[in-house]
Amino acid sequence: MAEAIMLDPDVGFIKEVGKLGGGDLKKCYQCATCSVVCPISPENKPFPRKEMIAASWGLKDKVLASQDIWLCHNCGDCTTRCPRGAKPGDVLGAIRAYAVADYAGFKKLGLMVRDPKKLPLLLAIPAVIFLVAGFLSNLVGLNWLNFAPQGGHALWQADYLNNYLVDIIMIPTFFFAVGVFALGLKRFVAAMHANALAEGKSHRQKIDPAGMIQALIRIVPTIIKHQKFNECTENRERSTAHMLVLFSFVGLFIVTNCFFFAEWVLHIEGPYSQFNPVKWLGNIAGIALVVGSLLMIKNRLAKKTSVSSYWDWYLVWLVFALGLTGMLTQVLRLGGLYGLSAVVYFAHIIAIWCLFAYTPFSKLAHLIYRTTAMAYAEYSGRGFK
Amino acid sequence: MTENKGAPANGSILVVGGGISGLTTALEAAEVGYEVFLVEKNPYLGGRVAQLNQYFPKLCPPTCGLEINFRRLKDNPRIKVLTLAEVTKVSGKPGSYDVSIRINPRYVNEKCTACGDCAAACQTEIDSAFDFGMKKIKGAYLPFDMAFPARYVLAPEIIGTPDASRCKEACRYDAIDLDMPPKTMDLKVGAVVFATGWQPYDAKKIDNLGFGRVPNTITNMMMERLAAPNGPTQGRILRPSDQKPPASVAFVQCAGSRDENHLPYCSYICCMASLKQALYVRAQYPDTAITIFYIDIRSPGDRYEKFYQQVKGDGKVTFVKGKVAAVQEAPNGQVTVTAENAVTGEKTSQTVDLVVLATGMQPSAAVAKLPADLKYTEDGFIINDFQAGGIFAAGCANKPADVISSNQNATGMALKAIQTLATR
Repeated sequence: MAEAIMLDPDVGFIKEVGKLGGGDLKKCYQCATCSVVCPISPENKPFPRKEMIAASWGLKDKVLASQDIWLCHNCGDCTTRCPRGAKPGDVLGAIRAYAVADYAGFKKLGLMVRDPKKLPLLLAIPAVIFLVAGFLSNLVGLNWLNFAPQGGHALWQADYLNNYLVDIIMIPTFFFAVGVFALGLKRFVAAMHANALAEGKSHRQKIDPAGMIQALIRIVPTIIKHQKFNECTENRERSTAHMLVLFSFVGLFIVTNCFFFAEWVLHIEGPYSQFNPVKWLGNIAGIALVVGSLLMIKNRLAKKTSVSSYWDWYLVWLVFALGLTGMLTQVLRLGGLYGLSAVVYFAHIIAIWCLFAYTPFSKLAHLIYRTTAMAYAEYSGRGFK
Repeated sequence: MTENKGAPANGSILVVGGGISGLTTALEAAEVGYEVFLVEKNPYLGGRVAQLNQYFPKLCPPTCGLEINFRRLKDNPRIKVLTLAEVTKVSGKPGSYDVSIRINPRYVNEKCTACGDCAAACQTEIDSAFDFGMKKIKGAYLPFDMAFPARYVLAPEIIGTPDASRCKEACRYDAIDLDMPPKTMDLKVGAVVFATGWQPYDAKKIDNLGFGRVPNTITNMMMERLAAPNGPTQGRILRPSDQKPPASVAFVQCAGSRDENHLPYCSYICCMASLKQALYVRAQYPDTAITIFYIDIRSPGDRYEKFYQQVKGDGKVTFVKGKVAAVQEAPNGQVTVTAENAVTGEKTSQTVDLVVLATGMQPSAAVAKLPADLKYTEDGFIINDFQAGGIFAAGCANKPADVISSNQNATGMALKAIQTLATR
């Protein structure tokens, strides 16, 4: 007789996973079809069968510490083949939603980000911050917030909402997100490594940072080429949309940094010429962002077999809003509708702030955790190139 | 006993389907004095049981049990057997049903002595449906050695060809009638029992399990034919591709069963069938390794559980908990099956000589609707409406079952049919 193992089920976890889109979890009867049909699951301890039983038993810590929930790309091949309609792909998605808030700390904020009822409040926070800071600046005579800027020349959004005001708030917000990620990642990596050792998924007793970085470099081409997405059968069309959004984010990150440098180091004032190559990149990336996010919305609406929860919708709509307000600000400005352009710009600023501040608590956190999990799997010999 | 006492005019019972359940219902009702019409679509009685090599509970060859039933049938003047016959209409109410039956021509009359001269003369060969296409038979054939009625059949394919004339010329008993027309027959009966049985689930639909695509991947019913002495290999279990004895065999349980993409229910018999078939292999090839991939082994009852334990105790039989979800062709006619062993959490691939898919049973009524006012489950099993009465379903037309349960159920439905008549 094997030794007795006492299980400590976390019923709240099971219920929460159900609410986050894993409502069919309990239908699983452990046939393990999913682990075999998954095109990207490793040979050694494949997922998602073991995650399904651990989740339905409420073994929260075991599940959340598993790298495998992040190796999953939600192809949906398992969901299609599942003989019971337990939708393992959606269950793992729901577990990831739970995991993000769990790793990140600031539990209350994490819960708010995945609660649709809290969305107005979350959007109000940046609006209030920018307005209050703007009024304060006006009180001390800086006049960063101007509702009716004067001038015979063409106006642009910075005449209404000064770039000082924007950056003085955005920069700390960005570093707040980086800090939250750093702490979350520390917790995640420690838990993931312990779990991998306990389950025989790693042949490395200790994590050697240089080795991890080398593994990270090895998986970068996989990520860039969306190789794992392309191995899927069911959801392959998502690859294009995801590629558009990912690359446009990379592009916009470069553009933002270039203009940040131009503004604060070279002291070249915007708006920048449409002939500027950085501007070209910005415009191409902006259009790609709108098109990519629209494709994502379309794919999600068309996909009846898998669940799209608020957790998923929050991110795709935010990305869409980001792209749309950004492009619209420029178009309205070029069209001479300066006031309207400024209003849209304000919405754009709110969207960017939300993206920064809430990223460690939102679905976008997969950027960090999935990349880390993939690098670790590669590093620890499970092979995830 | 109600010997020699004729039943009232509308006091007869129609039994649809001449498999083990239909036979049982017909015999049980007839032996207590009721007139029975037993209608069978095939040219022979015995149904699925006739195709088996051995069957539970005692692992008898099917001829054993069927022979007793055929004997009872022959001795009973109250049963009228119609083979090659299909019910086309049932209307009316309990105690009084109008039934239409279409009888397809056999082209062979009762003068046939089953000498086989027609088959010897016939040149055309057709696929044997009885052997799931694994054997060619002549266009004039006896369905199987112990077929009842013991009469040859001319396949519709040869009618109108020179082969038909050759068969007729070869017959010394004037038993071949090439002008035999299809007939229709109208009956009045008091009760109807549907014992229309089941069809093996079409394994081609389970596209990840390779049937029809990967050679040497067969179904459990094909395995029965391979193991049966009257089968395509005279009872030697051989790989279809090269007729080589298999050195390793994998059984894939729940192939399309308990799967909402295929048959959502458990077919009840497939676990026991695979355990039994593992013993067929063991008896023929003492060195052959067998792996049974399963989700849960369902061996209901004390007797079946003991059987399971017996097979489990066999050193050459390995059980792997994990459903096979990929079947691929390997070199040299071998087949690779992949599953996750849910106990160790490892993905395992095995390359074997022969793969047997334990496919489930689909009620015949799900494949072709019956011409009567019946209620069905979502899966096509007939629901017995005892309140309405008059029409009943027995055996696997009602639920997936083994022979024992089918017979118990069929006996019960004979009684239900009798009660319908007796209360009029």
